[in-house]
Amino acid sequence: MSITDHIFISELPGERRSWIFNPWMLLVFRLALAAVFIYAGLQKIGKPLAFADEIEMYKVLGYGPLLYCVAIVLPWIELLCGISLVTGVFLRGSALILLIVNAVFIVVIAFRTVNVMAEEGIGFLEVYFDCGCGFGATYAWKKLIEDLIFLALSCILLVAHAYRFIVIRRRRRIA
Amino acid sequence: MNKLKSAILQALAVAVIGSIVACIFNSVSVNGIDPFRKIYDVPVNDGAAAGGDDAIRIVTIEEMQDAWARRCIIIDARTEREYIEGHIPGAVLFDYYELGRYIQEVLPSISTDQELVIYCAGPDCDDSELLARELYLLGYRNLSVFKGGYEAWIDAGLPLETSGDEAL
Repeated sequence: MSITDHIFISELPGERRSWIFNPWMLLVFRLALAAVFIYAGLQKIGKPLAFADEIEMYKVLGYGPLLYCVAIVLPWIELLCGISLVTGVFLRGSALILLIVNAVFIVVIAFRTVNVMAEEGIGFLEVYFDCGCGFGATYAWKKLIEDLIFLALSCILLVAHAYRFIVIRRRRRIA
Repeated sequence: MNKLKSAILQALAVAVIGSIVACIFNSVSVNGIDPFRKIYDVPVNDGAAAGGDDAIRIVTIEEMQDAWARRCIIIDARTEREYIEGHIPGAVLFDYYELGRYIQEVLPSISTDQELVIYCAGPDCDDSELLARELYLLGYRNLSVFKGGYEAWIDAGLPLETSGDEAL
């Protein structure tokens, strides 16, 4: 067996599986993540300048073509990932995208939090800003916890053996 | 390995489809933008560097008062809600985040040689300068940005207005 065979959950005869990979739990995780990212995507679609401003606040990308391209494309990818989670089409790929996206969000929010703490001389629990995710301003620690949860759910969906409740299913059982 | 390959291929498919749909929507949306426009090449006279006669000027509170007294066209680059709550008397709302919509509604009645002074919330807000750069790319060449913004105007005890949109 390769390393990836160990990472992705396999269904061997008689193998006991955690409740996390119960098909109904996977459906709950799918719908929860889908709700978040469909809403987040819809909040930002059609507002590229506002979203570009939010991204620029992280000081990772300056104003320029790359920033504007990200501001134009990322909301649509969030929306499509949410739709994918609901329908089950390209589900594993969308889980991979959301895992990467959330990992990046956590890193940049953490860096911005540290910068705000240094600039304003406030504690970690006091840092409050609009992360640009589409849900308005919130405490940084709350946002980090949320994104860690989303990261965990994305990871679970990525490594799950198979899913039920798929709108379009290929002949093979592996989704 | 099959599942990992499958995940990567599916992720690429979602990314490509998302990018195509995003580009199509951006091209037809009223607030769509050209990501490759040279907004960062627009000349700005910010004191550190002189950008030429038609560069965007950064003005002080005194110069802003003078422009207001001369009845120049004052542009408020904030949101509609902020504008309704209070704005510099006579200012025209031009929400920078709805650029396409306000280009269609406001610019047809402003000629490119008219003097425009743009402000937003305060010194930490970049929207006034960003809007000025966008207007420069549209051919407007008599542009000033009041960086102190609405915050500085209020701090100076100057009058404000709390009505709705002002018609030109």
